[in-house]
Amino acid sequence: MTRWNDGVEELHAVSPDITDETNALPARYFTDPDVWEMEKEKVFSRYWVYAGHENCIPDAGDYFTRTVGDKQVIVARDEDGDVRAFYNVCAHRGSKMVADTPMTDPGNMDRIQCPYHLWTYDLDGDLRSTPRSFEEAGLNPDLDDADVSGLDPDENGLLEVRTDSIGPLVFLNFADDPPLSLAEQAGKLKTRLESLPLEEYQHARRYVSEVACNWKTFGGNYSECDHCQANHQDWITGIQLDESELEVNDYHWVLHYTHEADVEDELRIHDEHEAQFHYFWPNFTVNMYGTADGYGTYIIDPIDEGRFQLIADYYFADPELTEAEEEFVRTSRQLQEEDFELVERQYEGLQSGALGQGQLGPNEHTLHRFHRLAQEAYNA
Amino acid sequence: MTADDAPFVACCPACTERTTAADPNEVVAFYRRHHAVTGHDVSWERTPPLAADVPADPDVDAVVAALGDPDVALGAVSAAASEWGWTVGETLDAVHDRRLTGALWEPRDDHVAVV
Repeated sequence: MTRWNDGVEELHAVSPDITDETNALPARYFTDPDVWEMEKEKVFSRYWVYAGHENCIPDAGDYFTRTVGDKQVIVARDEDGDVRAFYNVCAHRGSKMVADTPMTDPGNMDRIQCPYHLWTYDLDGDLRSTPRSFEEAGLNPDLDDADVSGLDPDENGLLEVRTDSIGPLVFLNFADDPPLSLAEQAGKLKTRLESLPLEEYQHARRYVSEVACNWKTFGGNYSECDHCQANHQDWITGIQLDESELEVNDYHWVLHYTHEADVEDELRIHDEHEAQFHYFWPNFTVNMYGTADGYGTYIIDPIDEGRFQLIADYYFADPELTEAEEEFVRTSRQLQEEDFELVERQYEGLQSGALGQGQLGPNEHTLHRFHRLAQEAYNA
Repeated sequence: MTADDAPFVACCPACTERTTAADPNEVVAFYRRHHAVTGHDVSWERTPPLAADVPADPDVDAVVAALGDPDVALGAVSAAASEWGWTVGETLDAVHDRRLTGALWEPRDDHVAVV
């Protein structure tokens, strides 16, 4: 039974049993600003979150920035060819150092320099140099230069953010002691993606859309296809929804969409005769198309409790797309726009405050996993 | 609010992402978010009639002086500067340059006034 906010029924945590009435996350977790503040720590500072694609920073000194909640990060390739991440915060007095730089238009720098007092860091984060005014005490009558001990490069370097990768996909973790390794959080997703030549594909398109709903509202919509028949009529042409399967793993679920007609193997990156849409908790997806030799990623990036940016990236063998690939991207964008209408409409309903706790259907088991992970994170 | 009834509408020409707003500074915030992840600029599609005359030739100080009472939202300056074909990014850069000459100041967040 649906629980309305009518003062009659009590709300409950998400039941582990999908057949229970209280199998969904209570509605306030989608609309309450305090929940978003909590999620910054309990979700986005605890689990592995996607940063970007390392093909976009092939050379030493290439970098892009990424903002996760309130945290701003520089993701850079160092002199040894490793991708590393640092808080975009100077060790001197906390200034933001480099301007926002998108993955799709990366910058390059020999060293990381704070423009405030010109503290300069190597690409491995070590403090490389400071101006003479930090080595001498000429302006301070109470000190001699000999009293100035100097700054140890190792002890005064940038604060590094833990990174790990699945193929060319770089992830961040802000926790001092992450509860899971990336391999543990990704599970089968890591094995599957690492079996594919993801690194052979180049970034071709980025579309960023701002949508007026909670990030979990869109994440939930992505995770089920009970709405597809009624709302994605162009897209489902050629897909056998009744033959498709939604697979649930610990922190990752997959929507396997079987194609009706034979599609040439060259038009897929993977072997299976299907499209595979992978959702990776908390806010990342990898979209393996059944009818295009390429793949896409979504970052469902919260702005606040009522808005998010969908950062949609497309990767193909050649970034100069063929006509067929352009048409494919257009169809994908149509699908996004159809979904945006659905989730914004749903969110308007949630914001009315009428619904206390919705309920999920038996084929929304992927969404049930999503809600349970959110509940688990909030309770941790 | 829809594109039909919003007083302010702006769009990214590179990827056609559009935003609607009742407050012009919401468009500035949109520009900053969008620029941070795409590098793209944002252009105005619709602004309400201006409360004061804008000079025919680009002059940020004159616009701030005309609209400031006592200060004016950055978004309103940018909306007015769209008369010259300026994007949001171009206006913010111009305002920044004028602030660093001491001609303009920011008495409160994202609002500017003539010194």
